[in-house]
Amino acid sequence: MRQTIRRFSIAAVAVLATGGVLMLGSSLVGAQSYAVLTEDQKQHIVENCVSIKSSLNQLHATDALLRVNRGQMYESLSSKLMDRFNDRLGSNNLDNKAMLTVTSNYRQQLNEFRSHYISYEQKVSAALNVDCTKKPIEFHALLQEARTLRNTVHTDVIKLHQIIDDYRSSVGTFLLNYERLSQ
Amino acid sequence: MEEPIIPPKVATADEALGFWGRHRFSLLLIITVSIALVLTVISMAIYNSSGAAQLDLSRPGYRSVSDQVDSGTTIDGFSATGPVNVDTIKEFMKLYDEQANKAKAVDAFSGDPLNPAVLEFGNQGTKE
Repeated sequence: MRQTIRRFSIAAVAVLATGGVLMLGSSLVGAQSYAVLTEDQKQHIVENCVSIKSSLNQLHATDALLRVNRGQMYESLSSKLMDRFNDRLGSNNLDNKAMLTVTSNYRQQLNEFRSHYISYEQKVSAALNVDCTKKPIEFHALLQEARTLRNTVHTDVIKLHQIIDDYRSSVGTFLLNYERLSQ
Repeated sequence: MEEPIIPPKVATADEALGFWGRHRFSLLLIITVSIALVLTVISMAIYNSSGAAQLDLSRPGYRSVSDQVDSGTTIDGFSATGPVNVDTIKEFMKLYDEQANKAKAVDAFSGDPLNPAVLEFGNQGTKE
């Protein structure tokens, strides 16, 4: 019994020590990524906290509107055009494999766009919840992360536009083949 | 000397029920509130993680833009049934081109509004 308790104690101490080391490490890494602001810059954030947050709030709202409007457009393009054209070709026993592949890529990219936007929005919300007069470094770090995520969302948009063009090319190729076979 | 006869103690209806039986109304309230709290926490977690929160423009921070949602962009759907010939393919291509141009018209999320040099430091520049 004593041995069991001793083993349990050793294991608990080991777990706690490992956790402590990991937490210390992560806080050091965090501190390193935060340590990019000069005193002047920190002061500037503290002094202009209200106006920075006001601009951020505005961006937060306009980006949400953009997400809703663009998302609706991208969603409709696949559900009302791509899927229906693919189904129509399929029901006529025509080869729609190329279009199905592009549609699948499009849907995958649309999912990435959605999930990246969620991450971006959550990061901006987190930054808005930070009191930048008291925690300018944390606020700055969150904004930097949000900036990176916003760029990722933009990359997703570019890829979606590329896939929209790819689908058009597939349909064009299909039409050429169809005309050639019909003659 | 005769011992006094003690009449057997008759349990009242309340005593016969036991502790939880006597407090069943309180128990009902506790269980009801607990279930409501758990369900609320679960639904809020789903609301936040599913992306519904990001699309909900009725939230307080989004009121300024909630009336600007583009409700007029309805795409004329292409029928999923019917024959396929050159004309129907060309008709689809025309419809697709129109909508694709609309979709690509906006280079969404471009620019760099979160650049610290612009947002935080007003072109002072950063060390990054």
